[in-house]
Amino acid sequence: MTQDPDNVDIQVALQQLKIAFIDKIPAKLTEIKEIWQTLKSKPEDVEISQLLHRLTHTLAGTAATFKLDELAECAREIENALQSFSTSTNTSLADIEIESLLGSLSNAALNTTTGPITNIEQTDVPKVSKVIPTIDVNKNNLVYLIDDDDDFSHTICMQIQTFGYQVQSFNNLSAFNKALNLQEPAVVIMDVMFGESKTSGIDYIAKLNKDRDVPLQTIFITGSHDIETRLNAVRANGFAYFTKPVLMTSLVNALDKLSFKVEDSPYSVLIVDDSATQSKHAALTLQQAGMKTREVNDPLLLLNTLSEFTPDLILMDVYMPNCTGLELSQVIRQMENYVSTPIVFLSSEDDLGKKLGALSLGGDDFLTKPVKPWHLVSAVSSRALRARMVRKLAETDGLTGLLNHSKSKECLKNELARAKRENTPLAFAMLDLDFFKKINDTYGHPTGDCVLKSIANLFKQRLRKYDIVGRYGGEEFVIILPNTDLEAAKKLINVIRARFSKLVHYSEEKDFCCTFSCGIAAFPDFSSETSISDEADKALYQAKSAGRNQVICARK
Amino acid sequence: MQELSRILYAEDQIDIQQVAILALETVGDFTVKTCNSGLEATIAIDDFKPQLLLFDVMMPDMDGPTALLKIREMPDYKDTPAIFMTAKVQSNEVQSYLDMGAIAVIAKPFDPMTLASEIQEIWQRSQQ
Repeated sequence: MTQDPDNVDIQVALQQLKIAFIDKIPAKLTEIKEIWQTLKSKPEDVEISQLLHRLTHTLAGTAATFKLDELAECAREIENALQSFSTSTNTSLADIEIESLLGSLSNAALNTTTGPITNIEQTDVPKVSKVIPTIDVNKNNLVYLIDDDDDFSHTICMQIQTFGYQVQSFNNLSAFNKALNLQEPAVVIMDVMFGESKTSGIDYIAKLNKDRDVPLQTIFITGSHDIETRLNAVRANGFAYFTKPVLMTSLVNALDKLSFKVEDSPYSVLIVDDSATQSKHAALTLQQAGMKTREVNDPLLLLNTLSEFTPDLILMDVYMPNCTGLELSQVIRQMENYVSTPIVFLSSEDDLGKKLGALSLGGDDFLTKPVKPWHLVSAVSSRALRARMVRKLAETDGLTGLLNHSKSKECLKNELARAKRENTPLAFAMLDLDFFKKINDTYGHPTGDCVLKSIANLFKQRLRKYDIVGRYGGEEFVIILPNTDLEAAKKLINVIRARFSKLVHYSEEKDFCCTFSCGIAAFPDFSSETSISDEADKALYQAKSAGRNQVICARK
Repeated sequence: MQELSRILYAEDQIDIQQVAILALETVGDFTVKTCNSGLEATIAIDDFKPQLLLFDVMMPDMDGPTALLKIREMPDYKDTPAIFMTAKVQSNEVQSYLDMGAIAVIAKPFDPMTLASEIQEIWQRSQQ
């Protein structure tokens, strides 16, 4: 999410050009329609035909430049249709075609939005009412293991695979090199003492990294503890360093950290300013840096907005009618959910005393207007990042990295509200591992923890980016599937269930398999948080009593 | 190798001009003289003395290809590298522009963030 300052300034400038162009579109359409009327009455007039051709051509070109694809496409079609119009003898047919295309053009003009011109990643939930369950397999799960101890390699391979990684092991460097040229792995696990010298594994990775733009993400494994080797490993961009015997949970934790570095969703910023122009400007600037924004121009409506938009940060003007930014920040701080949300004040205030006063009332930073776009972006993103880290610690489960109980419930509430608002389906699944207590009792808690981690990894890899997974407690999990109806959810979870049941888990005593049961309930069949989770829970209970290892849907 | 700095740019659409100017001047740090038609470009060229010509193909008052032919008749600019920009990039059309002496054809719509580097690359290739 970091961009260089010039880039942001350029994006803002581009955006302003785009808005200026959008403002001109209605006039351009009127002109095109008028000339078309003239051409219809005088189809043989070459000059008018050329003029209309040029107007649609330039509209197509300009719209495409501003990434208004639909508008560009419609204008392009009219341009093409005009070509056949001028050569056609049956003008009435061409007439109808062009008239209908003009209709589409007007519609496209209504649909123009001020989204960014260049490819800034948009991670919004796609607004489709029915989603076919596409299984978004995380491609980034390939691990290369280089070790000349074949027994060790074999054991590690088997075990890591349980956590959803695809592992390829090599006992010689030339084979590793060949594979590296064919396909980039997410992570390399390298035996330090591979080959003749004490550090030859490290030396080899260091040598490879010298020729690469992006260093290989490497985990080193060794039998040696000395600081010199460790230093060398760090210098070769080693991410983690383990001594044999390697603890599987630590190794998998390191792998997870490296390979689930998926992009975070964009920061969301709430802008409170009584001047719509000012808030629009700040919003555009932040949007250009890839953030999501919401503007509130009447401070008294702040609470309504907060109930449906949870910001990472609040950007607030100090002087507003009805109430000041300082008063408002105190109100926000008194609400439990927003105790830690950063508040950044924006004002032309230059008095240091007043600024400090603002900070003592719960503000986190004070930016003096006019703020340079880049300064605004960096002040907002660094605070938002830190706030997210703090929040993440409070909201996730330490073992699995999934959302904890209370956060899962909060997400269900928000997603349900969104589904109602947007009139889209939503599925809620409750899962429980089968006979998990027996696993803990038989193989010990560390092994049980490994099973919990492996299913969490499977969820992370197999679910879509916008699906929400939480560990509800013990061996119980919940999955929230926005934009997904009951049948689609059932298919999706059944795929995961089948896959999980085939996973082999390892313990010191013996290898074993594990299954889960699942109950699903969906909106709009059930429309309150309580009913949807109660029904999913009942369905889960049915799945358990019907013999486990199955998915059951709650019907109305 | 000569560093590229002066570009003579012809485009009739003011909205596209503005995006391109941002792309060339702000992103690319070039010095750009902008003309609204091919005809204007043939007039402006002597004062500006460009190192590179960047012309839209379809313009009223004299299109890009015609302007290039006129410019090629001027002894000082008979070898000045020229690039066309067009939305219609069919291979036979591209070839006809290249045959006219253009060193490259850039497809519209262009990406304002990468236009300058694309032109820089084309320039460097032409200088080898």
